[in-house]
Amino acid sequence: MKARFLPLLALALAGAVHADINVGVTLSATGPAASLGIPEKNTFEMLPTSIGGEKINWIVLDDASDTTRAVTNTRRLITENKVDVIIGSTITPNSLAMVDVVADAEVPMISMAASARIVDPANPKTRWVFKTPQSDSLMADAIAVHMKANGVATMGYIGFADAYGDGWLAEMKRSAQTAGIKVVAEEKYNRADPSVTGQVLKLVAANPDAILIGAAGTPGATPQKELVARNYKGKIYQTHGVANPDFLRVVGKDGNGTVLPAGPMLVYEQLPDSNPIKKVAAEYINAYEKKFGTRSTFGGHAWDSYLLLNATIPAALRKGKPGTKEFRAALRDALETATVVATHGVYVMTANDHNGFDNRARVMVRIVDGKWTLIK
Amino acid sequence: MNPGRLAFAAFIALALGMPLFAPQFWVTLGNYIGLYSIVALGLVLLTGVAGQTSFGQAAFVGLGAYTSAYLTTKYAVSPWFALAVGLAFTAAVALFLGFITLRMRGHYLPLATIAWGASLYYLFGNLEMLGGHTGMTGVPALSVFGFELRNERLYYYLIWGAALAALWSTNNLLDSRPGRAIRALKGGLEMAQAFGVNGARLKIVVFVYAALLAGLSGWLYAHLQRFVNPTPFGIHQGIEYLFMAVVGGAGSVWGAVLGATLITLLKQWLQEGGALMTVLRDGLQAVLPPSVVPSSNFELIMFGALLVVLLQRAPEGLWPWFARFVPRRKPPPIVPAEPLPQRATRPHEGALLQLKGARKAFGGLIAVNDLSFAIRPGEIVGLIGPNGAGKTTTFNLISGGLPLTSGEVVFAGQPIGGVPPWEIAALGIGRTFQHVKLIPMMSVLDNVALGAYLRGSTGVVSAALRLDRAEEARTRAEAARAIERCGLSAHLHDAAGSLALGKQRIVEIARALLAAPELLLLDEPAAGLRFLEKQELKALLRSLQAEGMTILLVEHDMDFVMDVTERLVVMDFGEKLAEGLPAEIQSNPQVREAYLGGVDA
Amino acid sequence: MDLSIAALLTQDGITNGAIYALLALALVLVFAVTRVIWVPSGEFVAFGTLTLAALQLGKTPGTVGLLVAMAVVAGAMEVIACVRTGETRRIPRSLLVWVGLPLAIAAAVYALAPLSAPLPVQVLATLAAVTALGPLMYRIAYQPLAEASVLVLLIVSVAVHFALLGLGLWFFGAEGSRTPPFSSFSFSVGAVHVNLQSLLVVATSVLLILALYLFFGRALYGKALRATALNRVGARLMGVSPNFAGSLTFTLASLLCAFCGVLIGPITTIYYDSGFLISLKGFVGAIIGGLASYPLAAAGAILVGLIESFSSFWASAFKEVIVFTLIIPVLLWRSLTTTHHEEDE
Repeated sequence: MKARFLPLLALALAGAVHADINVGVTLSATGPAASLGIPEKNTFEMLPTSIGGEKINWIVLDDASDTTRAVTNTRRLITENKVDVIIGSTITPNSLAMVDVVADAEVPMISMAASARIVDPANPKTRWVFKTPQSDSLMADAIAVHMKANGVATMGYIGFADAYGDGWLAEMKRSAQTAGIKVVAEEKYNRADPSVTGQVLKLVAANPDAILIGAAGTPGATPQKELVARNYKGKIYQTHGVANPDFLRVVGKDGNGTVLPAGPMLVYEQLPDSNPIKKVAAEYINAYEKKFGTRSTFGGHAWDSYLLLNATIPAALRKGKPGTKEFRAALRDALETATVVATHGVYVMTANDHNGFDNRARVMVRIVDGKWTLIK
Repeated sequence: MNPGRLAFAAFIALALGMPLFAPQFWVTLGNYIGLYSIVALGLVLLTGVAGQTSFGQAAFVGLGAYTSAYLTTKYAVSPWFALAVGLAFTAAVALFLGFITLRMRGHYLPLATIAWGASLYYLFGNLEMLGGHTGMTGVPALSVFGFELRNERLYYYLIWGAALAALWSTNNLLDSRPGRAIRALKGGLEMAQAFGVNGARLKIVVFVYAALLAGLSGWLYAHLQRFVNPTPFGIHQGIEYLFMAVVGGAGSVWGAVLGATLITLLKQWLQEGGALMTVLRDGLQAVLPPSVVPSSNFELIMFGALLVVLLQRAPEGLWPWFARFVPRRKPPPIVPAEPLPQRATRPHEGALLQLKGARKAFGGLIAVNDLSFAIRPGEIVGLIGPNGAGKTTTFNLISGGLPLTSGEVVFAGQPIGGVPPWEIAALGIGRTFQHVKLIPMMSVLDNVALGAYLRGSTGVVSAALRLDRAEEARTRAEAARAIERCGLSAHLHDAAGSLALGKQRIVEIARALLAAPELLLLDEPAAGLRFLEKQELKALLRSLQAEGMTILLVEHDMDFVMDVTERLVVMDFGEKLAEGLPAEIQSNPQVREAYLGGVDA
Repeated sequence: MDLSIAALLTQDGITNGAIYALLALALVLVFAVTRVIWVPSGEFVAFGTLTLAALQLGKTPGTVGLLVAMAVVAGAMEVIACVRTGETRRIPRSLLVWVGLPLAIAAAVYALAPLSAPLPVQVLATLAAVTALGPLMYRIAYQPLAEASVLVLLIVSVAVHFALLGLGLWFFGAEGSRTPPFSSFSFSVGAVHVNLQSLLVVATSVLLILALYLFFGRALYGKALRATALNRVGARLMGVSPNFAGSLTFTLASLLCAFCGVLIGPITTIYYDSGFLISLKGFVGAIIGGLASYPLAAAGAILVGLIESFSSFWASAFKEVIVFTLIIPVLLWRSLTTTHHEEDE
């Protein structure tokens, strides 16, 4: 009798002591940022369900690209699901709005959005916040360097009238100034605008040596096609936001020759075997493409956040039980000192850099015959 | 305690007690429900009651939120000071927008609200000082007496304190002198204006009130979220607020709370509806290839579909359905009170009303052609003629409902051509309408009390703060007396729309009487009345005359007209055909020709 | 700004304006007959482009599935309605119209999808599939509420818009699509480059506007529809069924929107959620026309297109601010110059 109940009792106790690790995710799978959020969401569906021998519950919520819902989701994940860490959101405004909530609750957060402001070390609240994607500034610098090397003296900018476009414009102006490139025209457009003729005419009239399009996904093709139609002869640059196959499909032959910075995973096949990122990216992309078709670099940000957790959770487990304050604090500390090879680059986190990416996290890519081609 | 109050008390107790025992996330949702309720409440008043559809409330929420965020982060002022500035700013913007857009009629208004809602939204995103599309971080938490409200459970009390105060004041407002006038706006301005309501101005007041509620909600939102960016203030959110009001039931203040609760919880439930969504997904996967079925994203589809079904079942919103379970509050008893002050009359000589060559042309059609006649004080004059002769148009020329094309109308020695209808009402002309214009859902008593609008002075603020009870008691007592005099005491608390059409016309007379006019214009008062009721009406008109009232009436019932009037004016094709004593008119061959040989006798 | 830029902007504004004009017409049409402010019209445009794009790629568009699902629901509603009113004899005919016809269209499009048929055939299939959704939507969402207030009908429209938005994301994904141009030919008039595709858009819009004008001015059905718009009860007395008028209107309107979708596809990229802003601008045009006049609505829509085009040149960041702010004085002027009708809503 006793013998029969003991294991049950042990199991029950173990259950109480060894709580699962709850990871809360809020991302923008619908709304204007859906093309970014969907591959992220797909990626969360293929993640393993245990890390370091502990069961992981991935609790994925959609915030519809809306700030209020991102905050509501975050609060819910913290108070209802007692999550140990939060991943998200997809876009910068949502992530910024979440910073206060996670800082108050002392839950580590890993954002998948672009702006460096999310992990601004000057803001004490970002102590709890990390982020996986390359910051705009890193990518903007790469573009400026490439422009400079190719004799570009003046540039124009056209980008989204949203946080993504604004962020890029600000960073690009800074990088261009450092490189001695003059920004002679800046234009904005909405993601779903049926026409950008007005903006493009103005850009072409300013006749810059190069034009950067600050957009994400297929909408990036709209100004590009218009520029080609208006016989713009300068160089066209895009951002890493367009790095998905749908962009190539929509932009068609008008995209050839375009240069953009991207995470190395986009062209991992073309990386030298010596690059440690190649293996990591191959593993992820093979699994993703088997299940969902073609790769998107945004899915890589989600996978990288998993890789970060995979590397840090075992250390945190030694300091506290999941579900406790100690565990969350230990996880934060572990994240702050993590060094992880990921699909987009190599994270070397420090107290002052909660993104941890360096030049290994960007490659320059050119579209050649409708394919991404690494510029060596 | 009556059951209605009990239910209300239970709601308050539940709302206030919730943070003490409920899980944290309930409090989070409760906070948002409170914020949305405040905005939806403004829409109930503006759209549901006053009939002015607005998609732009989210922009006002944004004004409140951004003003406070900007002032507190850039100039480190106290959020409470920022609230005052934000509300003042919101009111100023609403006043300006209301001034230009509320003149618009029909469908222009909703579109105008979309237009300025959209422009404000895009402005938020493009002003660098407001953080652009990315938004502003670091908005401070509120402090009360030096105590920071960072805790959501505490913040809950602030939000719901504001929401309950808004509910209380809106409810007060609806049950008052300005409230009755606001309700009267929905059927068009004509009726409200006839009782001295400056409809255009009142619309703006209501609009500003709704905007202020939205601004308050925005301020609370900014300091709860401690971050603002443009997305929560866009057109889609504006539509969602309207959604809440309509789904909840835009006719009642409780509809706002119900709608905000329902929409918030429905969205949350759909997002979390694990079991429901799994069943759906498995079901779809059974009939469709798995690659076709999305991993989720059913929420939006389900949300839309459920709301269509809900509105098909309850087009008036959910509150009327709920209200059946909440027993109606008994109307407060009518206590004797001294009469309202009488309107000041101006002494004058000669005819009370004089038309001199009054003309009204609609494009090429001349509806009233150089009509002249006069009415002496204390007379009962009938205006008769075949259908389409221009009688009702003449009424509208006298009451100011239509502008004169040429000629003159003189009342009590003063020319009133070009004077707006609400000022003409104030001069002492009361009227009823050919097509009954009552507020069908409102009680007979309240409908009649609207007539006393010009004899009261309660404004929106004192009504909202319930400082109007003394005047209100006098108004109610006087309305009850008028209703009794017209023989409708049995229907005092019935909804006006539930009465037979003939009786509704009598309600209109009672309402006109309450304005204590010198001249009473009655448009077909006897239509739809039975024989006995007509006799009572005659008696009423005679007793009014005995008190010195002057009456001009349009009527098709010839027996009634001949019996009650002293003099008749006959119109045909917009012109005066004849004028004289009833007996003379009866024997006038031209009149006989017009009636019997006319096109539409 | 020199003349050639002005000419290009005008061309761009008129092309977009023509698209808005078609939508404005659809909105005026629907409102005049059914009092529905048809918010989801934009989704029909997007469905038009995206269905054609899917057919181009040899994929079965999700529209087919939606057609089947809606036909089943509409059929069920019809059967229930027939049983309730005791008109069981009408059931076979109802089922034929509400289930048989849509299923036949769905089957045809399904069969056509992998064949990579010539463009005109695919366009026809797209038009048929998207147009068929219109009357089904009227039957399911609006007909049960035919007597409700304009406000409630508007809110139902918004709910339908949400549902279609979700469906669009499901069927077509978050990324956009373009369709191949009907013609890449272009010619120059002086310094101005004219694109034949744009010309085609404008010409088609003008033709459709004329056709509508004639339909309502001359044809018997058109007159019947107008009668329903003026007076539902009266129309019923004259033997025009409001339900029939409603479905017919929605058929016409969704055809217009599907046309829009097919026309706009080669000019720009369309996303699952592109429709809302397009229909909003069409709505602005419709309102300028007082929701009643077709020529004024079309003119209003062209005006919106032009304002948009020029402001995107002058101050692209503030484009929407300019478009929506400039509309207000126009609206004010319209509302002050139109004759006053008592609003009984």
